Amino acid sequence: MTNKTYTRFVKRWEEVMDVPPQTLGPFTKPYKKLTRRLKVMPWPWLVVISLISVIGLYMFIGSAITLLVTVLQRGF
Amino acid sequence: MDSTGSLLVSGVWFLRNALGVIIKPYETYRRIVDHGRLGELFYIGILLAGYFALASLVKEASFRPFLLTRQFVALSTTAAISFFLASATIWIVGTLIGGTGSWRRVTLAWGYTMLPTLTWFLVTSLLYVLLPPPRTTGVLGVAFSIVYLIFSVTLFFWKIVLAYLTLRFGLRLDAKKIAVVAAIIVPLFIVYSIGMYKLGVFKVPFL
Repeated sequence: MTNKTYTRFVKRWEEVMDVPPQTLGPFTKPYKKLTRRLKVMPWPWLVVISLISVIGLYMFIGSAITLLVTVLQRGF
Repeated sequence: MDSTGSLLVSGVWFLRNALGVIIKPYETYRRIVDHGRLGELFYIGILLAGYFALASLVKEASFRPFLLTRQFVALSTTAAISFFLASATIWIVGTLIGGTGSWRRVTLAWGYTMLPTLTWFLVTSLLYVLLPPPRTTGVLGVAFSIVYLIFSVTLFFWKIVLAYLTLRFGLRLDAKKIAVVAAIIVPLFIVYSIGMYKLGVFKVPFL
């Protein structure tokens, strides 16, 4: 390993170790699985989760979602 | 480096980080809290001011300079106060819970969480002009509502991700402490939002 690469590695290592690794007991594995998908280009996942949430809401309250949207559209 | 040069450098950093929070939020937030410049907030402020100018026009729906200026000043002042109150609250509560970051780190990181907020408010204002409410319960009305809600919820989740990263990197907190901080500050934000609603400034909280 060249000196430059090593210096870069040490710098990166220090950056990564600035915050302690996340541990959540039995939930550590699912947490890591979830965050891995959100670290780089999270949009496909965010859209899929939103789509599921909105379809769920539509199935729950039906066309009343238009009322919710009317309120939100006036909310700015 | 003089102040103009420093501001230009901050502008380049802002563009890089703004793109980064879209594509690589995790890595970008590390960079923002470690190497970010307070000058980047200036560009976020410029974008927000641009939006408030547009929102004043849409809200007033008439070209009367006094009313427009009053509306613009009310929106900008309230948003600026909200921003600094929010970042100070996060920093104070986070520090009390055991966080070790500085207020500068938290403010910079929280500044970038304004991007989803700004995007939502900007698109909502434009849609208010293009497709004014109320929505009908017909097929087109429901279809638009579903698309609009998907857009809104996606941005909301993006905001949550960035807010989480603010606490994670800005204050070096672990997930349990982040949950505790969230449990304290979310009710405070709700109370503040109700206050803003009652004052008639923002119906949806600009946080």
